[in-house]
Amino acid sequence: MKLRYARRLDFTGGISDFDQFEEFGQPVMDLLRSEGRSPLVIVVDTGYGFSGGNVQPHIVLDHLNLSGDNPLVGPNNPIGQRFPVVNDIYIAAADTVDQEETWSIGHPLGKLRNGVAAGVRQGQKLSEEELKTCHELGSHFYCYNLVPTMIVAAHAGLKVLGLVVPEGQPLDAKVLTAIAR
Amino acid sequence: MPNLNKVAEKSAAEAVALIQTKLSSSSFAQTKPVAAVVLGSGVSVLDNLPDQVVLNFQDVFGMAPGVAGHSGTLTVGRLAEGDARTVAVLRGRFHLYEGYAWDAVTLAARTVVEWGLPNLLLTNAAGGLNQKYAVGDLMVLTGYRDHLSPKWKQESLIPAVQAKSETVSNTLTDKLIAAGQKLSQEDSQFRPLQAGVYAGLLGPSYETMAEIEMLRKLQADAVGMSTVPEILSCAGSKTMAAAVSVITNVWSDDVAMGGHEEVLEASKAASKRLDKLFRHVLSGL
Repeated sequence: MKLRYARRLDFTGGISDFDQFEEFGQPVMDLLRSEGRSPLVIVVDTGYGFSGGNVQPHIVLDHLNLSGDNPLVGPNNPIGQRFPVVNDIYIAAADTVDQEETWSIGHPLGKLRNGVAAGVRQGQKLSEEELKTCHELGSHFYCYNLVPTMIVAAHAGLKVLGLVVPEGQPLDAKVLTAIAR
Repeated sequence: MPNLNKVAEKSAAEAVALIQTKLSSSSFAQTKPVAAVVLGSGVSVLDNLPDQVVLNFQDVFGMAPGVAGHSGTLTVGRLAEGDARTVAVLRGRFHLYEGYAWDAVTLAARTVVEWGLPNLLLTNAAGGLNQKYAVGDLMVLTGYRDHLSPKWKQESLIPAVQAKSETVSNTLTDKLIAAGQKLSQEDSQFRPLQAGVYAGLLGPSYETMAEIEMLRKLQADAVGMSTVPEILSCAGSKTMAAAVSVITNVWSDDVAMGGHEEVLEASKAASKRLDKLFRHVLSGL
């Protein structure tokens, strides 16, 4: 995991990095606030098992944590509440369009499908039956890193723009440009 | 790096021996409580028992809970003035989300089993999933879902969500339900009890809306982060476990929940009803 740009946190690390997140979370938030920007984290993760044949990039609107674990287990880091509310943390593309102070997300993001992610154990490949269960319980695809990252980010008071992309399918250049903006 | 696996400092047998040593100089040296009661955060019942002896968790279990709300005490006292029967009240508990290992989270319940107490009444504060519930309702657990056991870390939660709810069915649970019916018939101020399925989640983050919808599909009525380990600890033992949730909020589509004061008031009123309910049930044991 590394910090690539002061206005944005990019996560390229795996689950083992989450313990370190909170250590640098506060200084980054302070920086973002001093710049007058809302803290926002963009998480791009690989997705698997898309429902309804919609094997395409999605914007994540909510999640099911089916990993059996939670990155906040342990003594509470005072950066956030002991029992963080994680509703309303994901940012829909439409929510961000008018926020010039923060992000200006263009049409390419707005055109992406929206979906609910199931976060599962690292490396777990779901069987057809397990996938069916996940879809029936409300998720549209599953992934490994997005959900724990998002929980840690929510705990640290950040908002999340979550993007899930099918394996081997690069993000459209226009989407990348929109994110970069 | 936080300690994510705080194991129990003592065995249940050691804890029982410590309790008995500490009670040996009191008037309760020869008596065994008819029941133990575990109080979750914000639940306040069975205060000021006659002749009560208060022990600290630190002294009994070698550790104290880190969550605000309960100090971590084990109180042994009489059910009523002049009553020979006693009850053990455990204020506070150890949670998995704090980083405690399973044996630490279940130590208090295993101590109750080891002590040979016949009844264990568990309480918790829970979020209401069932939209017919209101803030301040008391829900007797007739079932539970285990979404928090450490085994799910290895297997993932998918087998847990595929499983049916486990049933809580014993005479202690029946007595709670019967007492609730009697009290609500006698007293219009005593709100009828709810009965439903409690989903025990690991936490500590609260559920997302998608997770709330999932739990509703799984027919859970309330959700919290405790109680299931204690119920599991009593399985196959001579200790009967029953549990009551205090519903502190109800997840609704418009998320228009009551203000904090309203919740506090509702919790206070719920604690009063719970106190009545427990005293009624305990007096019949």
